[in-house]
Amino acid sequence: MLELNPILVKDLRSRMRGARAYILLTIYLLILAGVALLLYVAIARDIGNELNAGRQIGRALFFTISTVALIEVCLITPVLTSGSIAGEKERQTYDLLVASLLTPWQIVWGKLVSALAFALLLIVAIVPVMSLAFLFGGIGLTEVLIAIVGLVVTALLYATIGLFWSAMLQSSLGATSFAIGTVIALLLGIPFLVVIFSLIIGSSAPSALLDSIWFIYLSRFVIALHPFIALGTTASQLSSGGEIFFEVVRTGATQVVVPSPWVLYSALSIFFSAALLAASVRLVQPMRTGADRKTRAVKKR
Amino acid sequence: MTSLVETHNLTRRYGSNLALDHLNLTIPEGAIFGFIGPNGAGKTTTMRILTTLLPPTSGEALIAGVSVTREPRAVRRLVGFMPDFFGVYDNMKSWEYLDFFGRSYGIPAQRRQQLIGELLELVDLAHKRDEPVMSLSRGMKQRLSLARSMMHDPRLLILDEPASGLDPRARIELRELLKELRVMGKTIMISSHILSELAEMCTHIGIIERGKLLAAGEVQEILRTLRPHRIVEIRVVAGAAHAEALLRAHPDVLELRREGARAESDGQEAPLNDETGPHTLLADFDGDEHALGDLLAMLIAEGVRISHFAEQSGDLEDIFLHVTKGIV
Repeated sequence: MLELNPILVKDLRSRMRGARAYILLTIYLLILAGVALLLYVAIARDIGNELNAGRQIGRALFFTISTVALIEVCLITPVLTSGSIAGEKERQTYDLLVASLLTPWQIVWGKLVSALAFALLLIVAIVPVMSLAFLFGGIGLTEVLIAIVGLVVTALLYATIGLFWSAMLQSSLGATSFAIGTVIALLLGIPFLVVIFSLIIGSSAPSALLDSIWFIYLSRFVIALHPFIALGTTASQLSSGGEIFFEVVRTGATQVVVPSPWVLYSALSIFFSAALLAASVRLVQPMRTGADRKTRAVKKR
Repeated sequence: MTSLVETHNLTRRYGSNLALDHLNLTIPEGAIFGFIGPNGAGKTTTMRILTTLLPPTSGEALIAGVSVTREPRAVRRLVGFMPDFFGVYDNMKSWEYLDFFGRSYGIPAQRRQQLIGELLELVDLAHKRDEPVMSLSRGMKQRLSLARSMMHDPRLLILDEPASGLDPRARIELRELLKELRVMGKTIMISSHILSELAEMCTHIGIIERGKLLAAGEVQEILRTLRPHRIVEIRVVAGAAHAEALLRAHPDVLELRREGARAESDGQEAPLNDETGPHTLLADFDGDEHALGDLLAMLIAEGVRISHFAEQSGDLEDIFLHVTKGIV
C-alpha cells in the first residue's frame, strides 16, 4: 500500500487538531463576508433602481471579494510555511528528521503540501461568498475561474517564499519576518519601481523605445510579477471585450501578441515556486549544509 | 569480534578550530562503548559524523563497512540516534510520535502498529501510549526517545549524553534498559562527561580530549595498561607497625600509605599502635598475582593479623585524570 508523506500526515494532524485552524478560518470568512455586506449596502444605496443595478452590484461584489481574498492569501500563506522547517529546528526535531530515511525532497514537499492544503481550504471556503455575486449577474464563469487560478498560484508562490526562508534560517520568528518582508517588498516595491521608472522616462522617451518589442515584453513581465496588477489588468481587459489567453498590442504599424497578464503571472509564479522549492531542498541536505559552512568558514579566514 | 564502527584519520574543522584531529576509533560489534571526554572534546562532532548529520573535513568513517559520506542512506538504516536533547512536537501522543518516525523510516503500517506496542513495553511506557508527549517526565521522554531510535531496528545505537539531567532512579532504569539492549545484540555508543555514569555499564571506553583519542579499548585492558601497578588494601588487626616496616622493605612495594593520611606526611609519622584500632594500609604493588600471594603469606608468617587483603578495583575516574593530565 502506498503511504502518504509522513511529514504531511503529522503536520495536518497537528494543524487541524485543536481550535486554532477553525478560528483562523472563521476570522478569514468573517472579514470577507463583512466587506461584501458593507459594499452591498453602500452600492445599493448609490445606484438605486437602475436597469443595470444588479450587474453593477454583482461585478463590484466579485472584484472586492477577490481582492480581499488575494490580500489574505498573500499574508496568510507565507506565515503558514515560514514556521514549518525553522519550527523543526527550534523544537530540535530537525536533526531527527534529517537523520531518518526521509529525503530532503519529502521533508520540503510534505511541509509545502500541508500548508497549501490549508490555504486551499481557505480558497474553497471563499467560493460560496463569491457565488453571491452570481445572484446579481454581470460575472461570467471565466472571471471566477481566472480568479481561483490566480488565488491558487499566489498561494503556491507565497507558500514557497515562506518555505525558503524557513529552510534558510534557524528561528521561525526570523523566517516569518523575512517572508513577510519579501511579500511587502514584492507587493509595494514593484508598483513603486514602475511609478519611478515612468516618472524618469516620462514623456521624453522616444516612441521607438516605447514601441519596441523588447520594451513591450519587459513591461508586461514586470506587471506580471505583481498579483494585483496582473489580475486587475486581466479583469479590465476582459470587461472591455479582450481575449482570455492573450492580448494584441498595436505599435505603430505592427501588432504584437503577448500572453494575457494572468497567464504570464501564473507561469512566472509556478516557475519561481519551482526554483524556491529546489533551493529549499538543497538547504535541507545535511551533508551539503556542512560543506557550505566549511567553504564559508574558509572564505572568512 | 568484528568491528562495527571504524574511523580512519577522521578530522573535522570549524573554521580554524580543529574539533576532531585524525581520530582512529574502532568499536566491536556487541560492545557498549563509552565515549568519555570533557565538554567540547569532540564527542558530539564524532557522533554527528557517524549519524551522517555532519560531513568530515577529511578522513573516513565506516559503519558495518559502509561509508558515511558515500552512502549516507545505507548508514541511516544501520544507526539509531538519540541526541542530547529531546525534540518534542506539541499536540502529539506517545504512539503518534513513534508512528511518525516509523513512517519516516518506511516501516509498513501493520508492522509499525505491532512495533509501537513492543517498544513501549520495552521502555516501560505502555501505560502512557495515549498521553501527550509534552506531559511525560524527563526520564520518560528519554525512554520514549530511545524507543524512537529503535524503530527501524538499527544495529548501532548512538546515544549522546543520555543520562544528563536524569534523577538517580531514571538513571538506573536507563542503565538496566541499555543492558537489555545489549542482550538483544545491539552495539551501543554512549557519550558522557560523567565517568561514574559509564563505568558500570560499558565494556569498552574511549577517552577523547581536544579532538584527539587518548586511549581506547576494553575497560579492563585500559585499567591494566594505564595503571601497571596494583593498589592493595590491607587491614591490619594486630602487628600494624611491624607490617608497615615489612612492606616498606619489600622490593615490589613502590609506595605505602596509611588510609586517611596525606601523601606528603608519609613516613614521618609515629609508628602505628594496635590499640588505636585496626589500621588500613594502601600499597602500590608492582608484581603479578603470585607475588601478591607470596606477600600475604609472608605477612601472616611474620605474625601480622590481617582482616582484609584485597586489590582495589580500578577506577575510571583515576584513569581519566591520569590520561588527560596536563592537556587541559
